[in-house]
Amino acid sequence: MTAVRTPVPSRPQPATRRPGAAAARLLRLELRHNAMLWMVPVAAALFWFTTYRKAMAMPPLWNLRAATMQLGALVAFVCPVVGAAAWMGSREARRHITDLAAITARPRWARELATWAATTCWAMVAYLGCVAALYGVTAQQATGGGPLWWPAAVGAVGIVAFSALGFAAGTVVPSRFTAPLAAITAFFALALSTQLIHGSQSYWQISPLVTGPWNAGPDAGVATFYPYLPDLPVAQMMFLAGLTVAALAALALPRGSGGRSLRAGAAAVTAAGLLTAGTAVELAGTGKPDAHGMIAIPALHDAANDRPIHFTPVCSHTAIPVCVNPAYASYLPSTAAALEPVLNEIAGLPGAPARISQAGAIYLQRVGNGAGVRLPGPTISGTPPVYHVLLPDQLLGPTMTTSQLADTMRSTAGPALIASVVGSGPGASPAQHAVTETLMLAAGLPLQGPVPPPGRGRGRYQPPPWLLPGSPVYAAARRFAAMPAPARHAWLVRHLAALRAGQITLAQLP
Amino acid sequence: MNVEITGLTRRFGRTTAVAGVDLQAGPGVFGLLGPNGAGKTSLLRMMATAVPPTSGRLRLLGRDPASYGPRREIRRRLGYLPQSLGFYPGFTVTEFVEYFALLKEMPPARIPAAVAAAVDRVELGGKAKAKLRTLSGGMLRRVGIAQAIVNEPELLLLDEPTAGLDPEQRVVFRALLRDLGRSATVVVSTHLVEDVGAACTEVALMDQGKIVFHGTPEDLTARGEGYATGDAPLERGYSAVLAGARS
Repeated sequence: MTAVRTPVPSRPQPATRRPGAAAARLLRLELRHNAMLWMVPVAAALFWFTTYRKAMAMPPLWNLRAATMQLGALVAFVCPVVGAAAWMGSREARRHITDLAAITARPRWARELATWAATTCWAMVAYLGCVAALYGVTAQQATGGGPLWWPAAVGAVGIVAFSALGFAAGTVVPSRFTAPLAAITAFFALALSTQLIHGSQSYWQISPLVTGPWNAGPDAGVATFYPYLPDLPVAQMMFLAGLTVAALAALALPRGSGGRSLRAGAAAVTAAGLLTAGTAVELAGTGKPDAHGMIAIPALHDAANDRPIHFTPVCSHTAIPVCVNPAYASYLPSTAAALEPVLNEIAGLPGAPARISQAGAIYLQRVGNGAGVRLPGPTISGTPPVYHVLLPDQLLGPTMTTSQLADTMRSTAGPALIASVVGSGPGASPAQHAVTETLMLAAGLPLQGPVPPPGRGRGRYQPPPWLLPGSPVYAAARRFAAMPAPARHAWLVRHLAALRAGQITLAQLP
Repeated sequence: MNVEITGLTRRFGRTTAVAGVDLQAGPGVFGLLGPNGAGKTSLLRMMATAVPPTSGRLRLLGRDPASYGPRREIRRRLGYLPQSLGFYPGFTVTEFVEYFALLKEMPPARIPAAVAAAVDRVELGGKAKAKLRTLSGGMLRRVGIAQAIVNEPELLLLDEPTAGLDPEQRVVFRALLRDLGRSATVVVSTHLVEDVGAACTEVALMDQGKIVFHGTPEDLTARGEGYATGDAPLERGYSAVLAGARS
């Protein structure tokens, strides 16, 4: 019982199908109608508020800016990206297109991939735009070094991974509430991931927010004298790429996503992605802080990265040149100006350094999350003697302004320089103490000795008893300081060796 | 035959939506009539490969849709308009139809012309660049028809296609159906018996998951002779067949 009994021959198949061209057209359509497009200004605004302003308030050092960007950009982008991706992932079901789309020839996985790719493209446009702005401005301001691409790459792979996870969430639970819930969940997962880091070795270092020993934070001393270690970024990117692959391949697992071979392949790829992510976590757990303030992972470590970066220091034209890494050149004028009075006093004295040279810091992991910094060797070394110093910004703690840094240099390195020349220290003679105080007085340094820098003190400073007014040392120092500077300098040139040997008494001081 | 169905059954939990349907259809317009809940949409969804049958044999365009490869080939040659058409409000008419042309794996070079032709056939050429959110319900229905015919399907399945169309558009649509039926198998599920009378060459009437009548519209009209319920001859035939099936 049919209306027409004549079978209809199938129409000839189209001569050629160009999957690339079709995919490109599909992507173009998806790009035009993507929720992430509306999220681009939101993400950019969040980046500006949370990351750009913070980074720009820091000195123009590539390492500081890059680490701040990696930390801040992901936090700024996670909500818009995950939300938009989940929204797009749930689009078919929300818009009741499921049946209509399901009966088309293109496998479900392929059309979902196009939607995800468009979402990710917009997210990447926003992210790369933000990175370009931050790095562009830094390039204008920085005096040395170059852009650090590993932090930017971790951020980029992180954006891709969050987009994939959000999209998968939207596909699995296609509700209008999925997008906000996924965004909030991702934000807290990311933010809380760093709270569980404890000690020098932690699996949680895999969090893409981590750029180095977590409690050290973004530190000015890292990746200036030594290369930026790619160990942790490589593990983080492995982890994020594994999650991305697993999430996207899992989209092809449900029935109807494609043929049996596609689904079997998807299962294998999902497993491989999860395995990769798990391996990366395992690798991150073996990471230890290295001596240069970064995380070294033995299995990924390249010994070539332990070699210092060759650089030509920039030096001041002071009585004793102050030389710093070119990256810190912007600090040089204020630092040299802060030390100049001291340098004028000690220049030409026996044992005085020929140069003050900025050194690369050595980082130490202490108990728990504690971290410390020290000079890589003795303070004075070489012939002619070179006095090695760490700029205050290389120490752990809050980043300083240029004037804060100069003040700290004057109050810490100034007295230390004088003490090193006079030989003052534990066991020094009263005459050495008196000469030290005289030189400090002459250099305009406070007589009570070094003042701990703000926020870095260990309690109220108590001057030693010999510095109290009325003491013999105090009186001798005042007397010696009253001499004309050239005469005092000439006396020191003649007698400094004896003074350092403890052969000069207070009474012998002029 | 483009559609060959033998003993097709579909159950949803304890409910049997389609109970052992046998059907064959070649080119032409095939009307599927029946009251609400008769199983028309379920049968159409199985023919559209949206849901697999619970049991029975289904061959479409000479292929078995149970296997992935043939199913994909069927889908390339299939057009489907669901009863409840969802849409992406931000898409324009052209973009929406193009989107489905791409999903149907049409050769990209042919798509612009095919989309323009489909949009013109449903008389939406003037609204081609209009966002779907700005269209009326009837216009959206025509967009749905356009996406269904964009690939010049060999098997076209339309579930309540004239719902929301104004009388003028229904007349145009019936002409379109007759035109499409010259080269393809068009299966139209509808409540509106006048659509069947005007456009269909063959009609089946479903009730409680079964086909209770299968013949030409003239046969159905003949079954209603002397039956009082219904305003038009075809309606009387429809009512008479249903009453007979239920008695």
